[in-house]
Amino acid sequence: MNDYTPSLDRLASLAREHPNLLAGPVTLYKEQEGLDDQRLATMLGCEVKAISRLALCERPREAPHFREDVERIARYIHADVMQLALLIRAAESRYALRQQPGATSPTLLAARDYEEAEEVSTEDKGKPSDG
Amino acid sequence: MKATVYEYDFHQRILARDDPIAFAALADWLYNPLVQDVRKRAGLNADPVLVEEAVGEALLNYHDTPEKYNPSRASLRSYLVMAAYRDFQNARAKEDRLAEHQVSLFDPAFHEGDRAGSQETVEAIEHELQVEELWKLIDEIFPDPTERRIVTLILNKVRSPGPYAQALGLGDLPNDERLRQIRLVKYRITRRLRRRMAQQLERTGGYVQ
Repeated sequence: MNDYTPSLDRLASLAREHPNLLAGPVTLYKEQEGLDDQRLATMLGCEVKAISRLALCERPREAPHFREDVERIARYIHADVMQLALLIRAAESRYALRQQPGATSPTLLAARDYEEAEEVSTEDKGKPSDG
Repeated sequence: MKATVYEYDFHQRILARDDPIAFAALADWLYNPLVQDVRKRAGLNADPVLVEEAVGEALLNYHDTPEKYNPSRASLRSYLVMAAYRDFQNARAKEDRLAEHQVSLFDPAFHEGDRAGSQETVEAIEHELQVEELWKLIDEIFPDPTERRIVTLILNKVRSPGPYAQALGLGDLPNDERLRQIRLVKYRITRRLRRRMAQQLERTGGYVQ
């Protein structure tokens, strides 16, 4: 194993069990949507290696800090801030729903994603840009 | 040696718990150097996966309880190297103990790239577990669908590199590099499976719940 190269992916994988980090929610979202890192990166408009960095970021604080935290993460991984906000909202609701037995049907998830998307979009329109 | 100014700044950001990228940026900066430092301490023959997991756990423990680190006593890098090396030693000792007591599952003859060893591990695992329980455990250990596909190939005793390359999307790589990557992934996955099985068996006194 002399050619073994360390990778942040392994750390990101270990981080899934740490609930304050984004690794768990993002992994769950990828799994449910059948996405790999490359496709998620394309969706977010960032490089594929940024996905492990995203996983190691803290979960954004709730409002009024949510927007500020998401913007900071987006700048760090060079991702589209709106797409990232939508991803985080969707991933976090799925993560929360997973803790509730019997509440994980695809219809419920889709409805929840739609509501979250609307919420983020409205929030975005209602606030002046600070970035 | 005290924390450097740069380390101290990171430490304050992590303690404050209001910077969502602080830990990721710290890991981005320190992860590879820490792995190199711990590998040097552990010796070149040390299992690199075990080293990397120890470094990962040290960083994540620091993330969870940064107040345990005192920047006036040691540099952050030294503190993390010490913590990771300690974890590495414990993990290695634990593996050695398990290897002595559960020979069927922890065959010390198993080595990376050793097909016979890998095969014996698979057979031992199958003996130890009911199939259903095994898959339940695999789902927990490998949430990533690609990794689960690789596990399926390993458990189905597929030896040809083709299906592995296809599952991993390695079709464009030169042959040598493709085989190297496949060996590495198989090694990591088998290792992770063995380790988690060991933990599970240890918790349940030899039975998988």
